[in-house]
Amino acid sequence: MKMNKDKTKVNKTTGILRLIPSFMRKRSFGYSMLTVDVLFILWIVLTSTGIADELFLPGPLKVWQAFITVATEGYQGSTLLVHVITSLNRILIAFGIACLIGIPLGILMGASKIARSLLNPLIEFYRPLPPLGLYTLLVMWLGIGEESKLALLFLAALPGLIIATIQAVQNIDPVYLRVARGLGASQKTILFSVYLPAAGPTILAGMRISLGFTYTVLVAAEIVAATAGIGWMIWDAAKFLLSDVVIMGLIVLGLTGVGLDLLMRLIGRILMPWDQRSGSKA
Amino acid sequence: MKNLFQNFSKTILCSLSLLSMSLVSLPKALAEKPKEITIGYLNLVNAQLVTKNLGLVAKEMPGVKINYIKVGGGGDMLRAIAADQVDFGGLGNPPTAIGVTKGLPIKGTMVLNMLDFVEAMVVRTDANIKSFKDLEGKTIAAPFGSTTHYLLLQALKDEGIDPASMKILDLRPADIAAAWARGDIDAAWFWEPNLDKAVKRGGNIFMTSGIMEKRGYPTWDVGVVMNDFAEKYPEYVNKFVKAECDGIDYWIKNPEKTAAIIAEELSLSLDDATRMMKGTEMVPCDKQLTAQYMGTTGKIGGFADTLVKTSKFLVSEKRLPVQLTRTSYERFLDPSYLENVVGK
Repeated sequence: MKMNKDKTKVNKTTGILRLIPSFMRKRSFGYSMLTVDVLFILWIVLTSTGIADELFLPGPLKVWQAFITVATEGYQGSTLLVHVITSLNRILIAFGIACLIGIPLGILMGASKIARSLLNPLIEFYRPLPPLGLYTLLVMWLGIGEESKLALLFLAALPGLIIATIQAVQNIDPVYLRVARGLGASQKTILFSVYLPAAGPTILAGMRISLGFTYTVLVAAEIVAATAGIGWMIWDAAKFLLSDVVIMGLIVLGLTGVGLDLLMRLIGRILMPWDQRSGSKA
Repeated sequence: MKNLFQNFSKTILCSLSLLSMSLVSLPKALAEKPKEITIGYLNLVNAQLVTKNLGLVAKEMPGVKINYIKVGGGGDMLRAIAADQVDFGGLGNPPTAIGVTKGLPIKGTMVLNMLDFVEAMVVRTDANIKSFKDLEGKTIAAPFGSTTHYLLLQALKDEGIDPASMKILDLRPADIAAAWARGDIDAAWFWEPNLDKAVKRGGNIFMTSGIMEKRGYPTWDVGVVMNDFAEKYPEYVNKFVKAECDGIDYWIKNPEKTAAIIAEELSLSLDDATRMMKGTEMVPCDKQLTAQYMGTTGKIGGFADTLVKTSKFLVSEKRLPVQLTRTSYERFLDPSYLENVVGK
């Protein structure tokens, strides 16, 4: 109901307001901006009064200068854009492969008890392992190139996807399946017309959580023998106590994460217009 | 009523003066003894292993709990110091230059070791590397921010070779050994005990840190103490330096027993330990007070010059924002503890 009201309001607004995306005009967006503002002011107060040591928390101006320097002159041979693209590339490739493998596997495990029993021990075992512990082994097996980095990111993304997909499939109303079978639908039709549409929203939620988890291991993945990447930049700058570059890198990394998440919600709204959740929460 | 008030104010006065007395005496009581100390030591071959193995620090500080933390390299040690996780640490000259320029609250107290062929560049024998020029197009590893990374870039600069013409990777010593075993890298400049693993798997030594010292680029590790600790427990810094000096003396006087200790500490064969020992130069504590090393209070020695040179290089590499004067590095080096120990 509420959503409909918003929509009518959107349609009525004219002129310059039309250029502002709809979510920015909502009250909840105002509250979110309030949190950001308070944090920002706190940051300025802490740094300008000298309560925080500049070595550990440089002021916003210093971080901004670091941003400008790295964006124009670069950090150790690559500009900020190259670092960001390198990392996003790694994340998206690994996450994409994880989706291609994890979602079908999750559907299989959700639909078939045998498949679930066969694969569960494997996933439940490696899921809680700390990424860095795994990484040592991955480096020994796959070397110091891209393969081990992608493998680590992939392994971080996979379990969340599988578990969310299993949940999604198990929560499908059995009536849908019975009706489809009763009407003589083939397995293929059931997969594409029942399983995927019904489970889609929960799978998307799983994808969003899983992408967040992939982000958490990015720095770890780029510690070993990387020469570019935003995670590597943060790690390398920390070694030289360049805390302005570290904080700038973290902010940029966070913003790309927020951007990707918005993108995924947008895709969700386009692909699954029947789902209320992905739309109304924006 | 008046009496009561007088009594009351007397009590207050009394308790106030007692309180202030105890406040004055409190720091003094604290100054006597730390409950525990944490020593971060670098994973390399030097006399700190002897001091640790023989429990020499504990001997100097009865009743104090001694924690030893092994740290992989200078970059990690810097972070440990910045996070205040150690009381005593050890740093090579590049991390020291970074730490001092960035204003870390540390003091350099003594020379832990001078680096000779214990740090070296190993090249894959079949890669056919005979000169720095041959490194072009190859993959080379070094722990970034460490002494060897600094020497590698310095050597390339002196030879007029662009570092961009090769692939220089940041790997920690243990990862270098693993990557070497897989054949992922053609050359690596790092240190024992992991260096030997690369040499034994089809590598030979091409350049050592000792040769670079003769070219005017000495590298060393300096013992550092956190300023807070040194202010609170100056006597315990003396005790620490004394223990390390005893370890150095033991190293110089008992090479065979030392080799056995190093073999035990690093799980090496006795032959390997003996050879690695020779690659590290230990400086007796009285000699550390000469102009080549720490110098004396009021007349700081060559270590300050090395720090100036190192930071100049790091600034040119854009690893450091500003270049400090020699005076700033002189302030960091504090030979007074050594003087106390040697004078005794």
